[in-house]
Amino acid sequence: MKSGQAEIVEISKGIQKSGLTSRRIAILEFILRIVAFFNTISSAILMGTTNETLPFFTQFIRFRAEYSDLPALTFFVVANAVVSGYLILSLALAFIHIVKSKTQNSRILLIILDVAMLGLLTAGASSAAAIVYLAHNGNNKTNWFSICQQFNSFCERISGSLIGSFIGVVLLILLILLSAIALSRRH
Amino acid sequence: MKNESTTIDVHGESSSAMKGKAPLIGLATSGGSGGYKRGLTIFDFLLRLAAIIAAAVAAATMFTSDETLPFFTQFLQFEAGYDDLPTFQFFVIAMSLVAGYLVLSLPFSVVTIVRPLATAPRLLLLVLDTAVLVLNVAAASSAAAISYLAHSGNQNTNWLPICQQFGDFCQKTSGAVVSSFISVVFFTILIVLSGVALKKH
Repeated sequence: MKSGQAEIVEISKGIQKSGLTSRRIAILEFILRIVAFFNTISSAILMGTTNETLPFFTQFIRFRAEYSDLPALTFFVVANAVVSGYLILSLALAFIHIVKSKTQNSRILLIILDVAMLGLLTAGASSAAAIVYLAHNGNNKTNWFSICQQFNSFCERISGSLIGSFIGVVLLILLILLSAIALSRRH
Repeated sequence: MKNESTTIDVHGESSSAMKGKAPLIGLATSGGSGGYKRGLTIFDFLLRLAAIIAAAVAAATMFTSDETLPFFTQFLQFEAGYDDLPTFQFFVIAMSLVAGYLVLSLPFSVVTIVRPLATAPRLLLLVLDTAVLVLNVAAASSAAAISYLAHSGNQNTNWLPICQQFGDFCQKTSGAVVSSFISVVFFTILIVLSGVALKKH
């Protein structure tokens, strides 16, 4: 009886140590959070520091373009800044998950906050993408002409800063998935 | 003989005592964890039905938002539809995909109602819900950005607000965007519910 019970305990410990344990999931989450933070903060900075001044005057078009000229781009900068601030603050909670073993309730809180931040980040990124697409191509039916034909480097920068934000969206989805897997495990 | 009978009685008492205790413990665990999870999954099913209605209404309103003005102008188009703006085309396609996904996920939700302690269907639903939430938010917010531009225009880029001519078109597209954001709220609650129901005790 005793040797059989000891064998069962050893086998269960062996199962715990191999494969995806809760500790490895927590470490992976910590790393993903850091990467997502760098992506979102670099997107915010890249969009926030774009301005271009054309060297000549024209009668009809403004000769200076900034991110604050388009409200969707302002919302993009604010959303990215808020999400990167949240990711830094949630690093503390992720670190506690690495150390502690019984983390069910705090993981649920983290899932709720992650879903809210995912919604905010996706909203910012896709509204900025819609405006950037319009700036590149214009629209014949509504007589909105494409401003990228005058402001080349401005357009390149705002298009490039979208990439970091979308990578942040994918990483947040992975973080929610990891939290759900860690919640559904028994140990 | 007497010793054997006393030992048999002791064993008999302890086994009957254990038999008396065991069913109570069994009832407590199965009722406690299965009961509230079943309630959560029924609420999840009802939310899915509501989200189907919200997403379908959003797609249909945007699809039928055509407006033709009764007079000619030299400078502006006299007809406006959702296919004039690629962002609105993306909105219609994305909301139709969202509504289709929700209809297909109803059987999985029923499976989680029937088996409240199974985690694989719940985990699958949570992952797919997150992906479709992202699609929904992307469609809703890009259409909202274009709608805002159509309402207010932008002086810095010389983009004129078209809503001053096309009032009905603007109203219908704004209504579709609002309905899409309601669907986003439902999805968020669905994901949180799946997360809470995944908890193991």
